[in-house]
Amino acid sequence: MSAVLEVTGLRKAYAGVHALDGVSFAVEAGSITGLIGPNGSGKSTAIDCISGFQRLDSGKVVLAGADITGRVAHHIARAGLMRTFQTVRVYERLSLSDNLAIAHQQFDAATWVDEFLRTRRYRKAVEASEARARRLVELIGLQRYYEAEVGILSYGQKKLVALAAALMPHPKVVVLDEPVAGVNPSRIREIEEALRQLNQAGETFLIVEHNVEFITNLCHQVVVLDQGLKLAEGTAAEIHSDSRVLEAYLGTTPEIAEAEMRTSA
Amino acid sequence: MKLAAALVAALLFAALPLLTTSNYIMGVGVSALIFTVAAAALNLIYGYTGLLSFAQLGFWGIGGYATALTVVTFGGTFWWGLVWAALINAAVALVVGYPTLRTNRHAFVIVTLTFALLATLIARDWVDLTRGALGIPNLPPPVAFGYEFGTTGRFYWIAWGFSVAMLTFLYALCTSRIGRTLVAIKQNEPLVRAQGISPMPYKLASFALSAAITGAAGGVYSFHLGIIDPLFLDFYYMQTFLIIVIIGGAGSFWGVVVSGIALSALPEVLRFSADFRMIIYGLILVVAMFVMPSGVAGWLRERRLARLRKTLR
Repeated sequence: MSAVLEVTGLRKAYAGVHALDGVSFAVEAGSITGLIGPNGSGKSTAIDCISGFQRLDSGKVVLAGADITGRVAHHIARAGLMRTFQTVRVYERLSLSDNLAIAHQQFDAATWVDEFLRTRRYRKAVEASEARARRLVELIGLQRYYEAEVGILSYGQKKLVALAAALMPHPKVVVLDEPVAGVNPSRIREIEEALRQLNQAGETFLIVEHNVEFITNLCHQVVVLDQGLKLAEGTAAEIHSDSRVLEAYLGTTPEIAEAEMRTSA
Repeated sequence: MKLAAALVAALLFAALPLLTTSNYIMGVGVSALIFTVAAAALNLIYGYTGLLSFAQLGFWGIGGYATALTVVTFGGTFWWGLVWAALINAAVALVVGYPTLRTNRHAFVIVTLTFALLATLIARDWVDLTRGALGIPNLPPPVAFGYEFGTTGRFYWIAWGFSVAMLTFLYALCTSRIGRTLVAIKQNEPLVRAQGISPMPYKLASFALSAAITGAAGGVYSFHLGIIDPLFLDFYYMQTFLIIVIIGGAGSFWGVVVSGIALSALPEVLRFSADFRMIIYGLILVVAMFVMPSGVAGWLRERRLARLRKTLR
């Protein structure tokens, strides 16, 4: 396997406070990689820097061999890195089908001239986008809402819409920022199952999440951040038994912490 | 269905000079058509892209003066005047818009308001060009192929042709992928960027197009009045365009078109009571805002959504 996303020596400081102090990790092609850590450990800052929503101070980000360090968000998206947001972002007053179509339109060759003249290129682009949208909507189980405004959906359903939108243009890697935070437990299972299926179909994910059980069930590789530093990296099982991780999360002795982690999970 | 209704309405409007000989009614018709175009242009930048632009008043004035000066000072035709009005305004919008749109929506509102006030000052104080407070009277009627649009009835055809052309263009734009992207930018700009779309070219283009159309509308209106002076930049016009957009429902193409026609006619319909006319007009606006805070189109949309929620439960 080769790394599709390589992050090296990521640094970011806010007014002297080091949010990220030299973090490095890699996401293997075809994997699900988890990025976890206590509040304020720098997870969100890391993915904001990677996806171009914040400027990084130093470090390097390479996506499928191309250096995307410090480029603006829409360039990074076009290079093949799609992301979702912690507080769900969808176009509330547009239909589900429009939400998905917009996520695709920058990635086809049809221009506004093609659209005006209804050229073959335009029709093919719309067909391809529509086919992809139908498949993803089926996967997230929202077929009956296809033409409905996204605003009428529940919070958990909107998270699924955001996930489907991120997948629309066949990205090289999808970064999910807390995909199950604030989602009710039964829906979490659905999201988990959808992600597993997508991964088996070849999609690569980097997931930032607080829900340890979710990460443990899903991820091949887990990276743990604490106070802007990489604390540990390994499989879910390895992370689970790492005393430094447990201490960072719960601030107690490993034995008690592990017991607490089991009961909470 | 909507398109068929629009076609019938356009043809009915075209028939107005055949149905009446009253210059007064046709004058109201000209105003209604031109104001509707200017409001639809404001709807493009405000209702679709989500940027409240007070600069429309400035563009309206610059367009009026550009057309009048092309004819009176530079010896061009009315038609070239409209072209210049559109081009100058598009250029001005790009120059004002580029730095302003890099900031935020609030700064954009303030800068466009300042721009409108500045345009008023220039119209009044750059006497060498605009003739100051005296204005430019006796604008000659437009001529095409030897046909002089000398009466209100004849001028009505220009207003009609102009508004049908502009509204058709705006409709095509707003219902295209570009229009959809503008709505997306209004609703969630970070998401647009995360999907590989750069918002800036879309914002600039919608601002420039809105400016060009408003300018040309101002050009037509100045020749309808037959005179242009600094009162052409009275805030009354901006207020009218804004009321049309808000009552019709910002972001709804047909809502704004229908409310443009209706609200231009309303103060005239209320003339049966000369004393209370503007009071009744004001009351209607206040009540409309109480009952339908997001405009007529927004109100209809809420009802549609409520029905949809019911069937999906």
